Amino acid sequence: MTAVHTTDAGVPTDKSAPRRAAPGGAKRRQGSSFDRLLPYLLLAPALIGILWLIGWPVLSLFVTSFRKLNLKELTRGEVVWVGLDNYTSILTDSTFWEIAVRTVVFTAVVVGVSVISGLLIALLMRQLSPVVRIVLQVAMLLAWAMPLLAATTVYQWIFDQQYGILNKTLVKLGFDDFTGYSWFSTGTSTLAVIGLLIVWQAIPFLAFSLYAGVLAIPRDQYEAAGIDGASMWQTFRAVTWPELRPLMLMVSFLSLLWDFKVFAQIWAFKKGGPDGGSTTLPVYQYLEGISKSHFGVAAAVSVAMMLILGLLTFQYLRRLIKQEGAL
Amino acid sequence: MKGWRGLAVGAAALAVAVTGCGTSTDGGNTGNSGEPKTLTVWLMDGSAPTTLTDALNKEFQEANSGVTVKYEVQKWTGIQEKLTTALSSNNPPDVIELGNTQTAKFAAEETLLDLSGDVSNLNGGDWLGGLKDSLTWDGKQYGMPFYAANRTVIYRTDLFEAAGIAEAPKSRDEWVSAIEKLKAANAADPEFQSLYLPGQSWYALLSFIWDEGGDVAKAQGSAWAGALNTAESKAGLEFYKKLVDTSGTTAPKDADEATPQQFEVFAKGKVGMMIGLPWELGSAVKADPTLKDKTAAFPIPSKTAGKTAPVFLGGSNLAIPQGSKNQDLAKGYLKLLSSKKYQDQLAEAGAVPGTSKDTAKLATSPLGKALAASAPNGKVTPTTPAWAAVEAGQNPLKDMLTAYLTGAKSLDAATGDANAALSKTLGG
Repeated sequence: MTAVHTTDAGVPTDKSAPRRAAPGGAKRRQGSSFDRLLPYLLLAPALIGILWLIGWPVLSLFVTSFRKLNLKELTRGEVVWVGLDNYTSILTDSTFWEIAVRTVVFTAVVVGVSVISGLLIALLMRQLSPVVRIVLQVAMLLAWAMPLLAATTVYQWIFDQQYGILNKTLVKLGFDDFTGYSWFSTGTSTLAVIGLLIVWQAIPFLAFSLYAGVLAIPRDQYEAAGIDGASMWQTFRAVTWPELRPLMLMVSFLSLLWDFKVFAQIWAFKKGGPDGGSTTLPVYQYLEGISKSHFGVAAAVSVAMMLILGLLTFQYLRRLIKQEGAL
Repeated sequence: MKGWRGLAVGAAALAVAVTGCGTSTDGGNTGNSGEPKTLTVWLMDGSAPTTLTDALNKEFQEANSGVTVKYEVQKWTGIQEKLTTALSSNNPPDVIELGNTQTAKFAAEETLLDLSGDVSNLNGGDWLGGLKDSLTWDGKQYGMPFYAANRTVIYRTDLFEAAGIAEAPKSRDEWVSAIEKLKAANAADPEFQSLYLPGQSWYALLSFIWDEGGDVAKAQGSAWAGALNTAESKAGLEFYKKLVDTSGTTAPKDADEATPQQFEVFAKGKVGMMIGLPWELGSAVKADPTLKDKTAAFPIPSKTAGKTAPVFLGGSNLAIPQGSKNQDLAKGYLKLLSSKKYQDQLAEAGAVPGTSKDTAKLATSPLGKALAASAPNGKVTPTTPAWAAVEAGQNPLKDMLTAYLTGAKSLDAATGDANAALSKTLGG
């Protein structure tokens, strides 16, 4: 740790400070070396804080992933290096790949559905009368404010086999097949229910963010499009979409990060069951790390997750940076 | 006076902490030297009544001058994580209570003190067999049995009488016919369940599998392999289904007895029987005090008339962490607790005592009688460190039950899949 600190504080002070003062020629202010140092000193606490809170855990995670760290090693403080053993053990395990693919597909579907639904609601909000809009906004805020596990419990009740309101309603509507229908008999249908819950929880934030973007589009552009006789779809493509695109990229990127690491809802529903059918990478990591106390293997799973997430977001990040530059 | 004592305890704790960092071999020469020491004892929520622990701690402190017992009660939720943290610290507790299915994991990882040499000193001849198995790892004993409890069939005496069932069932056939009679007698009430049995009550399933002569897993050398696909295990699963089908229970097929808590359902009065633990009856009576005089229990019956089925022996062991600084004192504490006086108090409180074969105090209530009758036939889950992951992770037995009971899989497919999953978890 100390090594990291010194480089942060030391590197910029000598080199960049004089260079900045030079180009103008005219000396705007005669700074003592303390004055020149001051900005960096002011930045230092934040930098050290960030490195301590984020850099150190990540580093320690990497280190742990090359160690055998079970309960025994942990309680006795033994350090056992195993090289790439943790990685080979997970990468040669076919269930890991199955789970990885499932996680990626699940994330993609959930992000897609939630971002599109959020966009549609944002566009809808512009058309609504103020009263209806406020009612909608309040309803969404309440959904958003609902604690994670409380919402999960409500969904469990809705989809309950015997007493769930969904099955009862479907039976009342004449679908008698749903008497005692189990929504959690396969991994896919379990994930579908969990996905619905996550989409429901994500929509308020997405809708509000995108609505803010929609409000920023000048009204006269729509008027111009109307005068030109553009259809609704054409207006959307030519006016709304270009303005919303950066924001859409941004919220999709955020959703991707959030949805990829969803754990609480999946665990609370069926612990990744039945038969491991709704197990995603975060659940797999919990099973390895907490249930089996194989902390080294769990760390390797985390590193693999970071790599997968990096691959998924690589394009997004690149385009995001490009757009930032263009703006 | 009080302030002085607090100071002394603090100084003692500090001294222990400081000396403890330097050397690891000075755990030997403790005793009644009068040097102030603190013995930290962690027991679990609801395990021993406070009257017992108060008397025990008082007697222990009087016998060992200068020793203070720091007694702390822990919650079961998240205990595995808490123990992991505590045991890896420099100053772990001196006596801990472990669930019997967790003990093997902590023993195998060499976190507990080997007590093989002290077994005879701790009333070893009278240890409860099922618990002794659970704390034996590699031929050595890593703890002392504390107490056990097992499932019995808790039933409503008034409903049994009304249905014309003269006495508690003594065989599986009698049990099934009792279920049918109860169902017929209460046919007018659509919400009535003669037996409340959720689909994932896997501890109950264990009884049926063991009764058929099967087992969950079998040891092959040091490794374990699943044994769920044997004919005996399948027969056990089929009997489970028979109970569900005969009783027509409306309990969820994809949840265990804790969601919803079966005692809550039982307390609503529309249930004739449930397979439950003593505390579950206690909680039901708390919810509806009128149940107190109209409930009783019988041991889970065997397929052989007159015998009781083997039951899963849930319970706790006491162990001394490897890193404890007061190992001899801790052993003394266990010795005192293993004495008949305190074991009788455990029995009186409604648990099967771990180091005494005398269950006379237990057999004073109908439930206690049923417990005492079935406890000698108690068994435990495979004693392997990997078992803790089965319960703390994804339990294949639960998936198997749900899949078979809902008809999602055939008997062969359900047992085959679960067996493969179990073998994998136990093997890794």
